[in-house]
Amino acid sequence: MDTKDKNQEITGHEYMSPDSPVSPLLIDPDIAVLAENELATTLSENELKELQEKQQKPATPLQDSLRRLRRDKRAMVCIGIIGFFVLLAIFGPLIYQHVGGPYTSPTSGTIGPQVYHTYYHQELDRQDEGPSAQYWLGTDSLGRDLLARLMQGLLISISIAVLVEVVDITMGILIGVLAGFHGGWIDQVLARFTDIIFAFPGLLFIILVAGIFGEWADTNLSGIPVIGANGNARLLLVSLALAFVAWPLMARYVRGQTLQLKEQQFVEAARTSGTSDTQITLRHIIPNLFSIVVVAATLNMVNTIVAEAGISLLGLGVQTPGSSIGLMISQAQNMVSSHPWEILLPAGVLAIIVLCFSFFGDGLRDAFDPRSKD
Amino acid sequence: MVQFLIKRFIGLIFVVIGVTFITFVMGYFAPGDPIRAMMGSHYDPVVYAQLKHTYGLDQPFFVQYWHFLTGLFRLDFGLSFQYQNRPVWDILKDGIPISTELGFWALVLEVLVGIPIGIISALKANTWIDTTNMGIVLVMYSLPVFVFAVFFQVFVVSIDNGTGAQWPVANWGNAWHYSWSDIQFKIGPIVILALSLVAYLARITRTSMLEVLRQDFVRTARAKGMRERVVIYRHALRNALIPVVTILGLSLGLIVTGTFFLEDFFNIPGIGETTLQATQYRDYPVIQATAVLLAVAVVIGNLISDILYTLVDPRIKAA
Amino acid sequence: MAENLLEVNNLKTYFFTRSGVVKAVDDVSFVIKPSQTLGVVGESGCGKSVTALSIMRLIATPPGKIVGGEINFNGENILEKNLDELTDLRGSQISMIFQDPMTSLNPVFTVGNQIAETVKRHHKDLSNDQAWKRSVEMLDLVRIPDAKKRAKSYPHEFSGGMRQRVMIAIALACNPKLLVADEPTTALDVTIQAQVLELMSGLSKEFGTAVMLITHDLGVVAGTCQHVNVMYAGHVVESAPVKQIFETPAHPYTVGLLRSIPRMDEKHGSSLTPIGGQPPDLSREIIGCPYAPRCPKVQNRCRQERPELKPVGRGEQVAACFYPD
Repeated sequence: MDTKDKNQEITGHEYMSPDSPVSPLLIDPDIAVLAENELATTLSENELKELQEKQQKPATPLQDSLRRLRRDKRAMVCIGIIGFFVLLAIFGPLIYQHVGGPYTSPTSGTIGPQVYHTYYHQELDRQDEGPSAQYWLGTDSLGRDLLARLMQGLLISISIAVLVEVVDITMGILIGVLAGFHGGWIDQVLARFTDIIFAFPGLLFIILVAGIFGEWADTNLSGIPVIGANGNARLLLVSLALAFVAWPLMARYVRGQTLQLKEQQFVEAARTSGTSDTQITLRHIIPNLFSIVVVAATLNMVNTIVAEAGISLLGLGVQTPGSSIGLMISQAQNMVSSHPWEILLPAGVLAIIVLCFSFFGDGLRDAFDPRSKD
Repeated sequence: MVQFLIKRFIGLIFVVIGVTFITFVMGYFAPGDPIRAMMGSHYDPVVYAQLKHTYGLDQPFFVQYWHFLTGLFRLDFGLSFQYQNRPVWDILKDGIPISTELGFWALVLEVLVGIPIGIISALKANTWIDTTNMGIVLVMYSLPVFVFAVFFQVFVVSIDNGTGAQWPVANWGNAWHYSWSDIQFKIGPIVILALSLVAYLARITRTSMLEVLRQDFVRTARAKGMRERVVIYRHALRNALIPVVTILGLSLGLIVTGTFFLEDFFNIPGIGETTLQATQYRDYPVIQATAVLLAVAVVIGNLISDILYTLVDPRIKAA
Repeated sequence: MAENLLEVNNLKTYFFTRSGVVKAVDDVSFVIKPSQTLGVVGESGCGKSVTALSIMRLIATPPGKIVGGEINFNGENILEKNLDELTDLRGSQISMIFQDPMTSLNPVFTVGNQIAETVKRHHKDLSNDQAWKRSVEMLDLVRIPDAKKRAKSYPHEFSGGMRQRVMIAIALACNPKLLVADEPTTALDVTIQAQVLELMSGLSKEFGTAVMLITHDLGVVAGTCQHVNVMYAGHVVESAPVKQIFETPAHPYTVGLLRSIPRMDEKHGSSLTPIGGQPPDLSREIIGCPYAPRCPKVQNRCRQERPELKPVGRGEQVAACFYPD
């Protein structure tokens, strides 16, 4: 939503504070060459073993990157947590709706967990409860099960993130490669377009879209099964808006990478051997876009999840009876002084997810391009 | 330098036109018939035609667009759909000083806190100070504004409950006035907004500073016998802040976004809040007006940061 | 005996890296007399730049450290001075110019400003106007045309050669006794090289400034220096007046260096005579003479004992070799 990560960031060299007794300065360039080579070829025990393994079977850069990623403990923990949430969102409701015995409600008669453990069922005399055996994470002010709502919210977040990314990646690669490879008017148009998108704060655009077309979406798009029903119609609209705002940045990254690749010798080699442009694009350029697309997509996913939560928080996204993390937050606002748990739960979960994604994204970037660290 | 600025200015005009066009198009194709909706059950063809004329909705597309554009220069955004016969500008103008105040102080705080953190981290790179700083900063950088707001609210409310204090979590006090009660209202949202931005600035400052400290001319400054403080704050910092200035322009977009959320969250009567209410009532002109105003503000902000950039980096003057 | 302007005794500067301790400068001793131009030659990585930086105490302290020795300037040991005294010394008594003029000047300040800054730092009693005047004077001295106007220009408005002159102007502005020049012309065009070297020579003669000229180019040395140190693997392996270095080189390394320079009078099409092998890894312990692995005259003793600098031939020539020419 907001293009915080527009600039590739690098961290700096080791440097010392000016307070030390011997006045510091830069390393003599001659020695720097030597020392740096030494540093670069430092091999720990593990690396030595790997090197020996590698020498038997040359690894592709992809495998190298994955190996580096696997060694990044922080990133691995984070992807684990994200994985947990994904599984929770997908399989949680299925399991949860079969856990628990029959419950006699004054308003709805005797019902089983497949009713009272859904995200939309209201049990009006069980409002604002804390965690219990029946309602694992408590209930909100309409007597709805918080765990169920949380899982549904997670499902929404994940689905949107994936949907937006699919569009983002497709459009981004398509336009980016065309702009980078052929240049010309496509490139110009992309540049102008990107300028406009950047100038328009993402949120504003989405508010505009959701505000003006929201109701229309509610009436016309609710018909679409699964996606549109249950208050999610606006969300479809919002997803499209988010994808629309996201792909120019991806296209920019792809274009940049394509330009770089285009100048490299293997492309020239392919060209001289008579490979057609399309073939070059498909076989040489696109596979090499992998790392930058993956990193950019991961980072964009965080933005999407935050954006969806934000939009729903403002009342422009998922509507009741649907559930979204943002919606849960806004609906719990009145209860902050009496039942802070209702707002802390979704906010906390969102915070964890965002942090995990951020750390993982950092780790991913470092794994694919360790040079960007120094 | 003048050439550079002119080029940028033209580019920005193009962007503004693009933005206004998109906004206008959306309003034009907005579903529903606002005049009908306004009339409710009192539908009368004659009045309908009159109203349509008053709102200029009976003109062809480009005429409407032209009116829209020219109106912008006069701050005439048309009439509100919700409050009939009330100009949109009238509705928005009270909120503008408030939103600006929030954004302004957040920006000031962001600079006053973010840059020093970045510098300290760079000077003590890779020590525990740096790692802690950057760790905290990464967390702040990742979390969305409204999550901060939630934690803040919960925190304040629990203190209120516990001690019986009355620190407010809603409303704004008087715009641009700073009595103690005014400050109480304002400090929370401002600090929250600033914190979410500080991270961004601190990271950039740190990176830039580290990059500059590696440069040869820093070594030359030391070789000249300049004292360490002079080397860092005069020679290095001056160069390190150059990219930071451009980045500040970019944080405007973040400020605008953040303001929307915070106004909603804390019930602050700025233009964000007004616009959000307008979305509920399908008051498109208001939404359009805000979109244009804010986009233009961001664009102007970028232009200012570009100008600052040319002032600060002498190499650009010659370009 | 204030004869020697600079006396370096047993200087050791090591770098502590992850893969070991790199002994960049390992027991180096030499002197520079007042107004003398000393050339320091050697391959990349031989320690010449580190020596220069050590004198100025500009070594980055992690990972580098001056671990031993003395650097006596005008009788006082620089290594024992505190930070204040050190910064007073730099720029006013000892100045340094560096290899790459394109990046050695601060891009956001005018050149006049950068010169005046040094002047004001070391002559606090001068007014801004006086400092500025001095800077214009210096620009004139280094033959920047239209000095008064150009003093207000920024570094990016100058070419490489002119920037190096500005560096010289900065370095000489406070009339230092010693100028350390670390490969000042390596990054410049050959024709500009000659101009800059000539400028440096002329000025140092005029003001009686001693110069430590570091270079890998023996041709440069021949034209400008009175005395020459040859360094290899962190040691000084030979030291002699310039004529003797060229006419009667004693250390096999010096011999090899001279032989490897292509000569105008060689037969067309004959091959170059490089020195075989590689310089040693300075993070590994070196036993014996560091040049032993590449020396055409190596004997068993060379691999076991490290030779000290001993007089060879006549006059002041010394070489660290058991079997000098």
